[in-house]
Amino acid sequence: MKTIHFTLNGKRTSVDVEDNETLLHALRERLGITSVKEGCGIGECGTCTVLVDDEPHYSCLTLASKANGRDIKTVEYLSSSGVLHPLQEAFVRSGAVQCGYCTPGMLLSAYSLLLKNADPDAHDIKEAISGNLCRCTGYIQIEEAIKNAAEVCKCNSQG
Amino acid sequence: MFIGQDITRVDALDKVLGTAAFAHDLKKNNMLFACVVRSSRPHAVIKRIDVSAARALEGVVTILSHEDIPGENLFGAIKKDQPFLAAGRVRYKGEAILVVVATTEEAARRAADLVSIEYEDLGNISDPFISIQSPVLIHDGGNLLSHRKVVKGDVAKGFESSDVIVENAYSTTWIDHAYMETEAGLAYLDDRGRVVVASSTQNIHYKMKEISRLLAIPPEEVRVVQATTGGGFGGKLDVTVEGYLALAVWHTKRPVFMRYTREESLLAQTKRHPLYIVYKTGARKDGSLTAVEVNIVGDTGPYNSYGETVCLRAAVHATGPYEVPNVLVNSRMFYTNNPVSGAMRGFGVPQLALAHESQLDEIAGLIGMDPLDIRMKNALKRGSLTATSQALNHSAGLLETLKAVEPFWRERRKEGPGSGFGLGCMYYGIGNTGISNPSSCYLTLTPEGRVEMHSGVCDIGQGSDTVLLQILCDALGMEEMGIDLVRGDTDTSYDAGSTSASRQTYISGMAVCNAAQKLKKYLKEHGHYDGKPLKEIYRDAGDKGVPIFEGHFDPPTTAPDPETSQGAPYATYAFATHMTQVDVDEVTGVCKVIKVHAAHDVGRAINVSSVRGQIYGGVAMGIGLALMEEFIPGKSGSFDNYYLPTSMDMPEVEAMIVEDREPTGPFGAKGVGEPALIPQAAAIVNAIKDATGVRMRQLPCDIERLKLALEKDKENKG
Repeated sequence: MKTIHFTLNGKRTSVDVEDNETLLHALRERLGITSVKEGCGIGECGTCTVLVDDEPHYSCLTLASKANGRDIKTVEYLSSSGVLHPLQEAFVRSGAVQCGYCTPGMLLSAYSLLLKNADPDAHDIKEAISGNLCRCTGYIQIEEAIKNAAEVCKCNSQG
Repeated sequence: MFIGQDITRVDALDKVLGTAAFAHDLKKNNMLFACVVRSSRPHAVIKRIDVSAARALEGVVTILSHEDIPGENLFGAIKKDQPFLAAGRVRYKGEAILVVVATTEEAARRAADLVSIEYEDLGNISDPFISIQSPVLIHDGGNLLSHRKVVKGDVAKGFESSDVIVENAYSTTWIDHAYMETEAGLAYLDDRGRVVVASSTQNIHYKMKEISRLLAIPPEEVRVVQATTGGGFGGKLDVTVEGYLALAVWHTKRPVFMRYTREESLLAQTKRHPLYIVYKTGARKDGSLTAVEVNIVGDTGPYNSYGETVCLRAAVHATGPYEVPNVLVNSRMFYTNNPVSGAMRGFGVPQLALAHESQLDEIAGLIGMDPLDIRMKNALKRGSLTATSQALNHSAGLLETLKAVEPFWRERRKEGPGSGFGLGCMYYGIGNTGISNPSSCYLTLTPEGRVEMHSGVCDIGQGSDTVLLQILCDALGMEEMGIDLVRGDTDTSYDAGSTSASRQTYISGMAVCNAAQKLKKYLKEHGHYDGKPLKEIYRDAGDKGVPIFEGHFDPPTTAPDPETSQGAPYATYAFATHMTQVDVDEVTGVCKVIKVHAAHDVGRAINVSSVRGQIYGGVAMGIGLALMEEFIPGKSGSFDNYYLPTSMDMPEVEAMIVEDREPTGPFGAKGVGEPALIPQAAAIVNAIKDATGVRMRQLPCDIERLKLALEKDKENKG
């Protein structure tokens, strides 16, 4: 066991982890962040996506110890100011949520995209979520939601 | 008005916040963890089980076998033929043998690995065609699970009167549901000592009954709760974790949690049935179909699950949505030692659509007719007789779906070599086939003056909770959604039947309408429509209280004739046409789906956004079925080698909603869940033919298979 220190959704956090423990396990089992899902355990489905320094990572393949000193974001970060992020609003309104198991990971991949690219085209959006599997929606309403949210974010930053 | 609007789904907020409690997220103090020891052999007698090393491991609480089951060991939705835990014999690789319960998940899994089992192998029946003639019997009654026939008219005469006849063989393989959330649940004893199981499921009341039989306790002593469920597609209809959890809690008296790993889900859970189809079609020069003869052989694995259902549904849908005067279908389902095949979105109909749509294109090609025209010529319409001689007296909008895609079809232009277009049509009977499949619900008022809807319908992500609320609001004439939904709990709801067969909008929607009528009458009598608020009606009811208003609906059907299947197996049918554009790289064999027009007659779209969502999701699953998904026993062990469509595989999709209202449905609605998937693979295969001249009759036509077929075609031409 060793203690790691990192920023979790904007707050300084410390937790004791095993050397071989995944970030997924540490977040879910030690810190109670159950929005981070396990879908396959081998980095194929993306339901365990978290942001490490704003880049999407599969937390099932990331050692918890690698989070030491880093900035970790889960979907809770998006609404940490008390209001829904435009992406969350758009997901709700565009029918982008069906069973919802892929949703937190999808939102984080989309959030990371919008940080880097305020005006993504259809291909950019497809590419950004290509590592997140969804079995229900066929992705189309998710892509519409990301497009709509990008517009809102652009307006907000101009305003 | 709530119907026809894009009402935001009631479950969406919790899901975007990450607060929705899926089965995987359930926890209780002091809880134990269970995992299953599974067979490494496809067919064997268990000679000896040694659990000593496992039992000695720190943290192991108990190891349970079939001998620890107080009640019946056999379960099954249609026939009780599958053991919860193998009793001396295993019939497929992955069959459950023991349940290990430990204080940590890691200890449970490590202990499971330490169990040593000695087997004596029996003959492995790896193919339904071996099963047909094998002296090795998987069950005492023989290896044939089910044989269903459809007989209409005289096919011999029909073929005699045909100008063209086409006969071909088609085959499909195992498909995994691949819901993003694997099977999981939590069980505990409540204050009264009753067994409570919360799980990821499509049918709480069915599972309550199975647990009651397993533990030999009355159903009232069992409570099943649906956790937020991360997808189902038919795979969470059978008992999965629920039986093991109930057994573990029964013995340990402590809360028990379990979840399948993805590898375990792939290994052990049901799959789409592989079907082998020989299909003969006759037609006149003008394109009118004269006769269809179909032989279907299916592989159900060693247990029934929904094998009989698929056998019958495939048979009665075998002609596709066309008027065929002479029909002979023989559909047979065999036991094998392959994975258990069960319910999966479409119950055999997507497999048949591959065949009937390919056949129709071949006929059209021979007589020089346009594929759209031949479909229009033969399309079922109001007044038509189906293959089971059921007269379609109500909603039958196939022609309208064909007309919806017609302008795009007529104007299609190939964009170079490898570009092609294909059509696929389907019809699909809503609800179970020729048997009673009722739904019930109840309504009452709360002290706060809200309507309370008690629903046993499992929303597995498709959006039934929202749809039922929309139906209730309009049935009561409400201006605001003043409804509290009490859902997914056998303690607080009536049996609504399974979330399967695209039945919940139609059947449970009608049950809600039925209850709403009664509540509305009561509210009228108590002055609500003259302005009296619900809160006052509740208050004035005093000690007597507001009664509960029950709603029921069972779709009118007739049992199929045992020899001919003639009759009215469904109260209503959904119809659809898909038009798909593909681009095939003739060197690499890569087929890319470029654009899909998907027109669906849903009767009435209660929630337009959710209907679109079903159509898009169905198209995605159809692309997987056609081009990439194949579960190979012994090889497809994880998502490393079971490929699912990603965002990059999705084409542009134009969802086109046709509303030929169904008078027996809630505000005219039928269903769309399975129909969305059914015609897509067929449309892709027809588009590949159009693009390359090569007809693919085996699914999936993945890169290797398509490349090989293209090379062979070149050689033949060369």
